[in-house]
Amino acid sequence: MYRFFDRIQHMDRRWIFLGMALAILIPMLFPITFEFKVDERVQALYDSVEEIEPGSTIFLSADFDPASRPELEPFYRANLHHLFRNDVKVVMATLWEFAPPLILPIMEEIAAVHGKEYGTDWAYLGYKPGKELAIKAIGENIPKTFPKDYRETPTTDLPIMRGFKQAKDFAMIVNVSAGFPGTREYVLQIQGQYDLKVASACTAVSGPDYIPFYKAGQLTGLSAGMPGSAQYEKLVFPDGPPEGIRLLATQGINVLNLGHLYVILLILLGNIGYFLTRATDAPSGGKGG
Amino acid sequence: MRSTFPLVLTFLVGMFMIGEFFIPHWRYHVVTAELLEWGLILAAAAFVLGLINLVQVNLPKVIERSTDWQYKSVMLIALFCTLAAGFGGGIERQSAGQAYKWLFDFLFVPLNATMFALLAFYIASAAFRAFRARNLEATLLLGAAILVMVARVPMGENLPLLGDKLPQFMNWIMDVPNIAARRAIFIGAALGAVATGLRVILGIERSHLGAD
Repeated sequence: MYRFFDRIQHMDRRWIFLGMALAILIPMLFPITFEFKVDERVQALYDSVEEIEPGSTIFLSADFDPASRPELEPFYRANLHHLFRNDVKVVMATLWEFAPPLILPIMEEIAAVHGKEYGTDWAYLGYKPGKELAIKAIGENIPKTFPKDYRETPTTDLPIMRGFKQAKDFAMIVNVSAGFPGTREYVLQIQGQYDLKVASACTAVSGPDYIPFYKAGQLTGLSAGMPGSAQYEKLVFPDGPPEGIRLLATQGINVLNLGHLYVILLILLGNIGYFLTRATDAPSGGKGG
Repeated sequence: MRSTFPLVLTFLVGMFMIGEFFIPHWRYHVVTAELLEWGLILAAAAFVLGLINLVQVNLPKVIERSTDWQYKSVMLIALFCTLAAGFGGGIERQSAGQAYKWLFDFLFVPLNATMFALLAFYIASAAFRAFRARNLEATLLLGAAILVMVARVPMGENLPLLGDKLPQFMNWIMDVPNIAARRAIFIGAALGAVATGLRVILGIERSHLGAD
């Protein structure tokens, strides 16, 4: 037993890497699906979108990059379907320099599915550098912060922007956030000052950071990581996806099962080995631990 | 004069921007909005500075064939190709078929995603080698981590007997000990930020001016 764990303790880490690769690959090739429940925070996010009056306009800040895409793109897609299905108009911008080539094609694709027209039903104001300063500027004056949209049309000429000058003019702010600048900065810079309705979808690692904002009522809802995105997909498409739409997070979350299990197994094996070898080594160690 | 003028300027602008929260007059607001826009322009100008800095640091090393010059030359070539593709594409650069879009979709996206995906392997290795129940605190952390990991995936929710209890317990961990610790950290960090801001505005902290 001791020798087994001693060998495991000193095994080449490439075996661990191989195990992880298999833990991800196997459920991808042979999917095993489990039912899952919807978290209270995701339900609150869904409900807050449902409460928006048809014809209202929201501001969507899509701040993610290719690294966080698997966790956040499914939410972003489901959220756009949800908003357009409920006849909510969307003004979108980003504070992340790597986001524009990711978010725009998806927006164009989903707007086309719902027959939404650029300029009246949705608009994309592009990327703005400045991080927290840009968020503060969005709170103050959007046409000044984004003088033109991505097609070089003056923002004030867009029909969707008539009567919308500041963040507080929008029915809600939805932030798809992969980190800094993101939800935390929206809450700190403008949510409190203007008493805005802000909903957030963030990466799993940021989730625990933003829960205090949700509990304090500063976020109307919170979806964290791939599980959050899968739960939101379940709410938006309760009868399954319409033809041509793939529920990316619902597929992905079942891949996580084995990955999480593998990490737990490694922690347990590592600890058993640690305690066994420590107990055996201690008497002969000479120093008494 | 060289050090006094920036200190006076920092003090005046800093105090003026703080005043915005206490003086809700629109005329005051017009000036703070203007200053905010200056800040945005400066932030955008930082990209140009970054570009110049990258070339200044790396180009001489490529010319001199110093250590790792090959990697630096790849970086510089990539930099100028992306820049040319971006400017060349104009406002259509993000449309399908454009060189910029191609570079982004087929080079940047896979590279960025790959770098991030490697984390899964390092986390697995670290979980095995470093995550040890050495003392009470580490044991509590380990227990909480395992519970949250199990409860976050559908398989955990479907475990016989424990399935219903696990998500409840995970939510308790997230809502009670997690929030208590996060709020303490947030408040501590906010007080630290206020103190640092005041030190900068009052000229006590001068490292941003190049002083020690």
